[in-house]
Amino acid sequence: MKTWEYIVRRLILLIPVIIGVTIITFTVSHVIPADPARAFAGGPKAQPEAIAHIRAELHLDEPLWKQYFFYLNDLIHLNLGKSYLENRPVLESLRDYFPATFELTMVAMLIAVPLGIIGGIISAIKQNKISDHFSRIIAIVGYSLPIFWLALMLQYLFAYLVPILPLEGRLSVGMVPPTTITGFYVIDSILTGNVATLSSSLLHLILPAFTLGFSTLAIILRMTRSSMLEVMSADYIRTARAKGVPERKVIYQHGLRNALIPTLTVIGLQFGALLSGAVLTETIFNWPGMGRFAANAVLGLDFNSVMGFTLIVAIIYVIANLIVDLLYAMVDPRVKLGGG
Amino acid sequence: MERSSVRSMKACAIALLICAVLLMTSLSGCVQQNQTTIKNPTTYVRYDIGEPKTLDPAEAYDSASCDIVNNMYDRLVTYHGNDTLHIYPSLALNWTVASDQLTWTFHLRHDVLFSNGDPMNATDVKYSFNRVITVNSPDSSVAWILEQCMNLNSTTIIDPYTVQIKLTNTYGGFLALLAFSVASIVDMKTVEANGGIVANTDNEWMKENGVGTGPYQLDHWTHNSEVVLAKNLNYWGGWSGQHVDTVVVKSADEASTRILALENGDADFAYIPYGNLVDINNKTGLFTVQEPSYNVVLGLFDTVSSNKFMADKEVRRALSYAFNYQSAIDDAFNSYLYRLPGCIPKGMPYYNTQNNGTSVYNYNLAMADQILNQSGYLRDFNFKGTYYRFNNTAIRLWYNSGNAERQKMALSFQQALTDLGINSIVSTEGWPQYLNRMYHTNEWDFMFLGWMPDYNDPDDYIAPFVGSAANGGDTFHTGWANASVDSYINQGKYTVDPTARAAAYTAAFNIYINDPSMIFIGQETYTRGMRTWLHGYSYNPVLEYYYYDYYKA
Repeated sequence: MKTWEYIVRRLILLIPVIIGVTIITFTVSHVIPADPARAFAGGPKAQPEAIAHIRAELHLDEPLWKQYFFYLNDLIHLNLGKSYLENRPVLESLRDYFPATFELTMVAMLIAVPLGIIGGIISAIKQNKISDHFSRIIAIVGYSLPIFWLALMLQYLFAYLVPILPLEGRLSVGMVPPTTITGFYVIDSILTGNVATLSSSLLHLILPAFTLGFSTLAIILRMTRSSMLEVMSADYIRTARAKGVPERKVIYQHGLRNALIPTLTVIGLQFGALLSGAVLTETIFNWPGMGRFAANAVLGLDFNSVMGFTLIVAIIYVIANLIVDLLYAMVDPRVKLGGG
Repeated sequence: MERSSVRSMKACAIALLICAVLLMTSLSGCVQQNQTTIKNPTTYVRYDIGEPKTLDPAEAYDSASCDIVNNMYDRLVTYHGNDTLHIYPSLALNWTVASDQLTWTFHLRHDVLFSNGDPMNATDVKYSFNRVITVNSPDSSVAWILEQCMNLNSTTIIDPYTVQIKLTNTYGGFLALLAFSVASIVDMKTVEANGGIVANTDNEWMKENGVGTGPYQLDHWTHNSEVVLAKNLNYWGGWSGQHVDTVVVKSADEASTRILALENGDADFAYIPYGNLVDINNKTGLFTVQEPSYNVVLGLFDTVSSNKFMADKEVRRALSYAFNYQSAIDDAFNSYLYRLPGCIPKGMPYYNTQNNGTSVYNYNLAMADQILNQSGYLRDFNFKGTYYRFNNTAIRLWYNSGNAERQKMALSFQQALTDLGINSIVSTEGWPQYLNRMYHTNEWDFMFLGWMPDYNDPDDYIAPFVGSAANGGDTFHTGWANASVDSYINQGKYTVDPTARAAAYTAAFNIYINDPSMIFIGQETYTRGMRTWLHGYSYNPVLEYYYYDYYKA
C-alpha cells in the first residue's frame, strides 16, 4: 500500500471515531440531572426568559436522541455550538486556545524528547555508572513529582526568590499580543518582526514548558534506556562489534534505530496527553489554553465546550498515532504500512 | 562485596546528594524577599478570578463584565468613593422630579465626548435606554432592571442636553437603577455602524468592543487571560492629577499564583481567599482590604419539601435557633463574616428597619428544643437506644461541592441537629446539579446559597428573598409566600417617600422573621490583598472598582 493511500484510509477511519466519541460524550454529559440553563443564565439571579432562551438553544426540552441529532446536524455544518461559559461560539474559543496549548506542548516536547532520548542512550551505554544513576534519579523525580508542586516551586524559585523569569501568562503585563496569523505567539512575533513580543513570549514559555515536559522527559528517558539495553544485547549488535564496526555506529545506526520504535509510541501518546491534559500547568501559569477551558467547561457542565474539546482531542490522538505509524516505517524498513 | 557494587553505591549516594542539595537550596533559601520598587508605575494590575462574559452594557450582568463596563462607560448618576448612601451626578449635571414622582428631568453635561471623539448628547441617552429594552438580552435578560419602571416610551428628548424620563410606575430605587451598568450611555453612531439594534438579539460587536465616555477605553482582551484598558484621552473628567494610564485585569484561577504576583509586585491588587490571607498579612508593602460587602450568606428552607414538617414555621424557627452563627463566622469564614439580621445588608439604605440591625435568632439549642417540644415534635422514636424526632426522618442538608465554607457550616449544623435529636444527612453536588435540585425538585430541606447586589436598593434583596413567586419573588424556590409581606414589599418599592419605605420594610421584616423561609447567616467581608504603593482605592460594594481614582506612589 502506498503511503498516501494509507494516510487517506486512516483519515477516513476518523469518521467512525468521531461519531463514537460524540455518542459517548454526549450521553455522559447529558444524562446527569442538572440545570445547566439556569447555571449559564446566572444561577439564582437567572431570569425566566434567559433560561427559556438557553433551553431552546440547547434543545433541552427534546428527547436525548433528538438533542443528539441536532448536535450532529450542527457538527456536519462545522458548528460546534455556543460556549455559554464564554458567551461565544465554541469554535472561536478553540481557535484562541488551541494554538496556546499547542505552542506550549511543542516546546515541552522539544525539551523532553531530545533530552529524554539522549539521556536514555547515555544511561544504557553507561549502565550502572554514575550517569545512569543520575538519569535514574531524574526519571524517578520526573515520575513522582506532582506537577502542581513542581510548577509552584519553579514559580517560587525563578519568579519570586530569584526573579529572572516571568511568573505567569504568555506575555509581559500590558503587552499587546502579536497580530494573529497562526495564533502561536512565537511564530507570529517572528512573522511580524516583533522582537519585543518574541523575546517576551519565549521567556514566558520556559517555566510552563519545563513543568509540562519534565514527566514526559522521565518517561522517554526510561523507555529509551530499557529499549537500548534490550537491543544492545541482541546478536546482531554482537556481530556488528565482532565485524569491527565502530562503537558509535553500532550505537546510533544499529542500536538506536531499532530501539526507537517503543520510544516513538510513547512520544506519540505523550504528545496527545500533553495537548489534552495540561490543566494544572495552564491553571498555575495562567496560560490561556485548552486545558483550562476544558476544566471550566466540565465543572460548569458547558456541554458544547466539553464536546468540542473532546472532538479536538480525539482528532489529535488519531493524527498523532498516524504520524507515529508513519515514523515506524521510516525508522524500521521491516514495518510495512497497512500490514502485509 | 564486589568492587563494582561498592562503586555503584557510591555513585548512587553522590547522585542523591546532588539532588538533595538542589532541593535544599530551593526550599531552605526562603529568605523573605519583598518588592519595594514600584513595578509598572503607570499601570494598575489586578489579579482576579473569572473573566467578563461581555463588554456590552445591554448584556452585562456578571460582576466581571460590569466591572469593565463601569470603567469604559458613564451613567447619568454614580457613586463616589465608599459612599453607598448618596447618589452623585455623572453625565447628568443635575435632575428634578415632578410631584407625581413619575417624571424625572435630567440636565446633561455639555462637554462630554466619547472615546472616538463623538459628542455625547440626549439622543445617545434615549438610544441607550431604548436599546437595552429592545435588545432585551436573551442570554442575560438584564433588561429587567430598567423594565421595572421604564419602557420604550419613557425617555423623551427635551433638547440636546435635557432628557425627561416618565416612569411606568413610581419606583423608590430608580436612581440606583440608573447607577447600574445596564444604564450606561453608548455612542449611537458607533452601535449603528456595527450591527445596530436588533430586537431580542445581543450585538456581537458590542460584546468584544465598545466606545464609551468613561475614563478608560478597551486596549485589548485576551480571553481567559487579561483585559487591558487604556486611558481615554477625551475623558470629560480630564487627566490632571494622579491617575493610572493603563489598567490590566488578569484572570488567574490559582490562588498561589495571585499571592506570588502580589508579593513580587506584578500585581497591585489581588483576590485572596480567606484561608490564604494569613500568607500576606503583616508583610511589608502589602495591605489587606477588609470591608463588609453586600454579599450575603443564606441557609434556605424548602417549605414545600417532601418532608412535610418543613412546612411548619415552628420547625423552621427552631432550626433558626439551632444554627451556630458564631461557629459559621469563626470556623467557616475565619471571622470574615458579619451577622446579618434580615434581607438587607449593612451599608444599604433601610438596614435599620430590621430590628435596628440586631439579629432575632442566636444559637440557642434550649430554645430550639422548647419550640419543637411545644409544637409536638418530641424525641419519641427510639433508634438503637437514641431518641429522635420526626420519626427519625432525616433532614437533608445540601451544599455545592468545592465550597469549603458551606461544607463546614453544614457539618456544624448537622452536629447541632444531632444534639436536638434530629437525624440529618449532609450531601454535596456540582453547581448545575445543585441548581437542578433547588429549582426542579423538593428533595431537599436546607441549602446554602449566596446573593450579590445588582443595584443599591433594598428592593433588590427583599423582593427576591421573601416575596412570593406570584409577586415575582421566591428566587430561591423555597415555596414560601405571604400576602401581607408582598403588599409591604410593593409599598416599599413603589414609593419614593423614605418614611413610607422604612415603615413598609419594618412591617415586612416583623412578619417574615417570625415565619422564616431562610436563615440569615451573615454578610461576607470583602477581602483583597493590595500593595501599599496603590493609592486612591476605596471599597464600594456597588461600584467595586473605579480605576480613575487610582494611582501608584
